[in-house]
Amino acid sequence: MAGGKKSRASGPTPPSTTLVLDNGANTIKAGFVTQTKTDEPRVIPNCLARDRHKKVYVGSELDKCKDFGEIVFRRPVEKGFIVNWEAQKEIWDREFFDEKAPQRCDPSETRLVLSEQPNSLPALQTHCDQMVFEEFGFSSYYRGPASAFNAYNDIQGILKTPRAPDAVVERPAEVLLLIDSGYSHTTVTPVLQGRPLHQAVRRLDVGGKLMTNYLTRLLSVRHFDMRNDTYVVNEMKETACYVSLDFKGDLDKTWKGTRGEKRPDYISGAGIAKDYVLPDSHTRFHGIIREYEPCVSSRIRKGGVSTEDVLTLRNERFVVPELLFHPSDIGIRQPGLGDLVMQSISVLPVGLWPGLLANIVVVGGNSLFDNFIQRLQTEILERVPDACIVRVARPEDPITSTWHGAANFAKHAHIERLAVTKQEYEEYGAAWVGRKFATGLGVDGDKQP
Amino acid sequence: MNNFGVIEVASTKTTRAPGWAYVPDVGPSGAQAALPTNRKRAARNQSGLSLSDASARQDAKIRKDLEALDRDTHKDVVIPIPTKGGRNTKHTPNVRKILQSQKTFANHLDDYQALVALAETNPAAAAALHPVIPTNKPSAPPSTARNSPAPAAPTASSTKSTTTQTAAASRRSAAAAKRAAAKEAKEAKEAKAKEAAAAPPPPPPPPPPEDPTPNDTTTDTEMTDAPPSEPTTAPSEPPPQQPQSYPPDGTILPAYQRPPPPSHPGDDDPLLVSVVPTFPTDEELRALMTALPLNYLEARAEWGDEEGRYPTRTFCEVCGYWGRVRCIKCGARVCALDCLEAHREECVTRYGL
Ligand SMILES: [Zn+2]
Ligand SMILES: [Zn+2]
Repeated sequence: MAGGKKSRASGPTPPSTTLVLDNGANTIKAGFVTQTKTDEPRVIPNCLARDRHKKVYVGSELDKCKDFGEIVFRRPVEKGFIVNWEAQKEIWDREFFDEKAPQRCDPSETRLVLSEQPNSLPALQTHCDQMVFEEFGFSSYYRGPASAFNAYNDIQGILKTPRAPDAVVERPAEVLLLIDSGYSHTTVTPVLQGRPLHQAVRRLDVGGKLMTNYLTRLLSVRHFDMRNDTYVVNEMKETACYVSLDFKGDLDKTWKGTRGEKRPDYISGAGIAKDYVLPDSHTRFHGIIREYEPCVSSRIRKGGVSTEDVLTLRNERFVVPELLFHPSDIGIRQPGLGDLVMQSISVLPVGLWPGLLANIVVVGGNSLFDNFIQRLQTEILERVPDACIVRVARPEDPITSTWHGAANFAKHAHIERLAVTKQEYEEYGAAWVGRKFATGLGVDGDKQP
Repeated sequence: MNNFGVIEVASTKTTRAPGWAYVPDVGPSGAQAALPTNRKRAARNQSGLSLSDASARQDAKIRKDLEALDRDTHKDVVIPIPTKGGRNTKHTPNVRKILQSQKTFANHLDDYQALVALAETNPAAAAALHPVIPTNKPSAPPSTARNSPAPAAPTASSTKSTTTQTAAASRRSAAAAKRAAAKEAKEAKEAKAKEAAAAPPPPPPPPPPEDPTPNDTTTDTEMTDAPPSEPTTAPSEPPPQQPQSYPPDGTILPAYQRPPPPSHPGDDDPLLVSVVPTFPTDEELRALMTALPLNYLEARAEWGDEEGRYPTRTFCEVCGYWGRVRCIKCGARVCALDCLEAHREECVTRYGL
């Protein structure tokens, strides 16, 4: 009976404030949105961390940590999905619900928009929905794919499409091929009018974590054991690694040569070799990248006066991001990013290809590697007919892009069709909520002329 | 050849394709690892190979290495939640269970796979547990992409779309979709009832929501409304070759005003005419936009036939240059003599003389 009475027109008005969470494996992007205002999101480490002095940091407390040597992490998100709710709840409580939380909100008066990675396991989705309503008690809630949220960004602006200055931004974008390359993995999702084309979603299990671990291994074999310093290595990866536009050439330039001889490019560094000064945990808490100086490293090796730990990076700089394009280099039997895109669109009608190929947007931290966009474009151009137009772009901030898309979505009429109230959850149950979210927007005629 | 106990693998069969310096030996590629989730495909790739000691060692090493690269931390870490008072410690039974669960993603995936396996052996039982497992990942290989863009069949093959495609007219198809949705909802309801009776309770994945309230038209229209107002211009029978403007007016996707620029000097070139693709019909788009998500394993990209033909690049295990030389003892690759010497020290430690 209660359900019969309730309708969209007469039901309670939705909360005026929305908490938008892009709950990543590495960081949470969080901020409030109202009809008139969108705060900039906070970027919160999504982890519990313990430093070498046994001090424990939860979430944004990590900002207070200076010495990251030998720091260890516990992460609630695994493979892109919230798996450990004990840890996730602790972080959310401290960031959003505790009395002194930096972004305090009252869930009973707040709507939650939460991003998720595609192709989650049904059990994990149910856990999430149960926690949101039964534990936190949000009054209204939508959980949706991160890729689709990006369609509510100004895609043509990101692609720098020439247009009139007063042109209206289309939200959601008509057509978008979204690539999300984050901590856990890399996914390709074609999106039409904000609807992900689920049959064409493809995942490559190469992400930031694997690349950092790979760099850690290379350094540990070639320089010194960095296995307890993945935080330091990750920083090194972010500052020093790049995507090669000439892999074979760069590899040649960084090869020392056969027995005895040292090739000239190796001696000079050929513009590729860089020195990296490791943090010393006393005066320097972050690593520093420097131009390669052949004599510096040799002096250190001879036990000179310098107190710096310097290591010279050569092919480590580009073989690590290369895993995105050639995962088989380390024995992963999956296609690289170029083929991943082709596999995705190959299950779609050819008529959609031109639109998708001309509107490729890459988000996620890995897209920040130098040359990433150019290399991806080249890889795709090699795989499509000559006449095809391929445009690949990265938003200004690829890390908060999904959050901004979700924030725009939270102001869009579509949210009202997708959000579920606590009352509905209590009446129809978690399975119904799961089905409603999976079904998504369906098809409508709201873009009709 | 040489007398250092190595096999020169960069022989006469050197490929000059970009990115490949050398063709590796024809033995097992050593890359059987990487958790092949498609058992059929994995089996096919393995057939007919007899593994020598050295490549078995390499296989084991690669598998172990990949497992290590997938880990979040080098060592097992236990960081207990720091105690903090003043919070509500009363939880619902669901929440208590979730908070106490120490399952990893791998555990959850195992649970899910057990369910999928049940679907293979006992479809009826599985269907009861799991009303819609979209196991219909289209397996069209990408190999057609390069040469001729032969239209891939619209393979969003949920029951819904099949129903849709058999409908004669697009208007009727909307009705059909509605019926299909209703049928699925009904099945889901029945399945739910059975599920309550049956044993392990994996949350059913998602058919379209049952219409919760008769008054609430929103969810209903989402699924079913045909393009309103404008009479649909879609042909009554959708033959795939029917030439259409790109794109047609009054369909699900409105006309492009922007890229890709539809006019190009090559457009009139008869040699390029096949490049201009037929825009999908409304039914095709409808099916694509309403298809349900794939499951975790289905979405994982696998090697297509095309990638399978390329040799795997191999690298020196010591310095990372091309791995042109193979250690006869363990199968490891090195670039040249310097690195071979470095490797042999380690190799002897690990495998003895
Ligand atoms: Zn070497
Ligand atoms: Zn060996």
